[in-house]
Amino acid sequence: MTQQVLAWLDERLDLSALRAFVAEKTVPKHRHSVWYYMGGITLFLVGVQVATGILLLLYYRPSASEAYESVQFIVSQVQFGWLIRNLHAWSANLLILMAFVHLFSTFFLRAYRKPRELTWVTGVLLLFIMLAFGFSGYLLPWNELAFFATKVGTGSAGAVPVVGDFIVRFLRGGDDVTGATLTRFYGIHVAILPAITTVLLGAHLLFIQRQGMSVPLSVEKREKAGEKIPQEPFFPNYVLHDVMWWYVALAVLAALSLFLPWELGTKADAFASVPAGIRPEWYFLAMFQTLKLIPSHVMGLEGEMLGVLGFSVAAGLLLVMPFLDRHAADGRPSKLITAAGILAVIYLVVFTIYGYLAA
Amino acid sequence: MATWLRNLTFVVAVVLALAAPAAAQPAQTSGCETCHKEHPQPALSTPARDFLATDVHRERGFTCVDCHGGNPNETDQVRAKAPATGFKGKPSPQGVTAVCARCHSDAAFMRKYAPKQRVDQEAEYATSVHGQQLAKGDTKVATCISCHGAHGVRLVSDAKSPVYPVNVAATCTTCHADTERMKGYKLPDGSPLPTDQRVKYEKSVHYTAMTQRSDLSAPTCNDCHGNHGAAPPGVGAVTNVCGTCHGVFATKFALSTHRQIFDRGCVECHSNHEIIEPTDAMLGTDKSSMCITCHSDGDNGFKAAAGMRAEIDKLKAAIDRSHALVSSAENAGMAMDEQSLALREAANHLTLARTEMHAFEPKAVTTVLEAGLGITAKVDAEGQAALEEVSFRKTGLAVSLGAILLVVVALWLKIRSLRATD
Repeated sequence: MTQQVLAWLDERLDLSALRAFVAEKTVPKHRHSVWYYMGGITLFLVGVQVATGILLLLYYRPSASEAYESVQFIVSQVQFGWLIRNLHAWSANLLILMAFVHLFSTFFLRAYRKPRELTWVTGVLLLFIMLAFGFSGYLLPWNELAFFATKVGTGSAGAVPVVGDFIVRFLRGGDDVTGATLTRFYGIHVAILPAITTVLLGAHLLFIQRQGMSVPLSVEKREKAGEKIPQEPFFPNYVLHDVMWWYVALAVLAALSLFLPWELGTKADAFASVPAGIRPEWYFLAMFQTLKLIPSHVMGLEGEMLGVLGFSVAAGLLLVMPFLDRHAADGRPSKLITAAGILAVIYLVVFTIYGYLAA
Repeated sequence: MATWLRNLTFVVAVVLALAAPAAAQPAQTSGCETCHKEHPQPALSTPARDFLATDVHRERGFTCVDCHGGNPNETDQVRAKAPATGFKGKPSPQGVTAVCARCHSDAAFMRKYAPKQRVDQEAEYATSVHGQQLAKGDTKVATCISCHGAHGVRLVSDAKSPVYPVNVAATCTTCHADTERMKGYKLPDGSPLPTDQRVKYEKSVHYTAMTQRSDLSAPTCNDCHGNHGAAPPGVGAVTNVCGTCHGVFATKFALSTHRQIFDRGCVECHSNHEIIEPTDAMLGTDKSSMCITCHSDGDNGFKAAAGMRAEIDKLKAAIDRSHALVSSAENAGMAMDEQSLALREAANHLTLARTEMHAFEPKAVTTVLEAGLGITAKVDAEGQAALEEVSFRKTGLAVSLGAILLVVVALWLKIRSLRATD
């Protein structure tokens, strides 16, 4: 049957090029290969997000008066609505975790070196977009914790010099977090960010297919020395391996969704006092904790402004890393870059845990 | 504009500016205060100092002469208090009310200072036990200054005022807890006037509400006895007094057979000053119940009390059971907000039944309780269904994880076989 369908399509579309690509494409096989599946898992989780997000759209109502109730309806009345919402919430968190793992594995393997600079840039931009997805999606259930966390989060943008106030007003759709912010975040979450993601992800995947997979510097050195690096067919070996990891991710997601359902909390009330222990999602916790620790004034400058500027500079450096690290392109790993990467990981882990304990 | 007209306008403006706020400006230190505040006798210096420190009358521009007469501009003590100056000195207890009422009973005058304030205090006072005793020549009784103070008078809304709600009990019991002072006073039934009212009141729900929950609407002495017309509520008036706040209970009680029997109305079961938190134990036939004070085994009241208590206990137990079920479903991750809300409604029925009980009509109580039991039954069914759903989900997850594991193992084997072939 499959053969018949393929023959039918081949007759009309000439699939010989595709068949040749599938038959000939290989991927290098080495002891670091496991890190190469992280991108695949991230991609799978993006797929889960798209599928569950579309299903949630069928019932979700983006207004301050109905958002909370509609999510309540989804988890209590809609058939398997609880599963879809929990999958969406857990998958979002795992997606960002895997995106970070993918980023740091790519970083330490120096996969961003020439000629894959653009793959790195699109990947980092995708990470920022995923964080924006998380930030905008967090508010959508319109619960108390998300409401106040968004108030704090959007308020931090006010520390940006000159344009800070404009950014705050732009994000909130007014001076304060209101129903206007909710509809704005909804539009960003379901239309603007997905559109940008489609373009960036398309480019990211296209670059990978076009340039093939990078190999670590140590493997490249052996290759240059004349050693033949073993390869394995992309299809079916690598694809099956990828699918196997997807199934593992699906099992983890399903178990988390059932045993640790995502709490809805109480409905947001702008007139309520700020609840105790207010904090953002875990992936912003390190930044949140850092901003809390910075003194209100440092050398005559506002502490919060300094913190926000610091994060902006760090994000900028991360984005242009392939152009800064010239040693990697020459096949020599820079100890400074490795140390900076290790410090960044330690900082993120320690401050995230600290943020949890402090809250 | 002509120069003379400009000058006249200026003069008029200055005069008006000086005259207009005069009524609201604190009075300047008068000649009376100059001497009295330094007087070696505390009885003569303290009033002046109190008046100078904080006094609502002084803040409104009144001076010593407004109550005491005299001439504050005269530096000689004798001439300042000469009969021609209208000097009254310290008013006698009987004279105090007249001095205060001169302004406070004058509606036109009071409108300028406190338009919302009542002006019938003197008339009310005359009807009070205090006023009646005073008229008989008993000068030990309270007059205006006993509660409000004479000098250093504060607004009732001032938290430091002796008549601010939380201070009223202390103010009244300055005299009423004084056994020596109260000796000789009797209640209408001839028994001695008790002096333990404050001790009892401080054990009451009303005192707790006022002092611990800062509920200033909670009753203190004057809310039941009246303030200016203070007198104990008479027999037959108690229900009305309690019903001022507890309107629904009073209405229900008015329909009951007990209305005719209970001489002291609500007080028969709830006491007066020591009104402790009412519990379901007050109803029924247990040792702690109020009903067995009059009813005994076999009579209709005894049966009705036992029946109403049993049904209230039944709904209470049902609500507790439903709560436990809803909690376990919530702990398992199920959304049970609607059921929690329904249980609040069931609890409302319990409250309604406790209210309805004051009519002492078992049928009416049963109707309310049955509606509550209907709610708990529905919640129980939904809670049970939620727990079954949890079980279904767990089974579904186990099956799914099993299937995923099989696929993962199959893929792993396939990958190994492909690698072996390579």
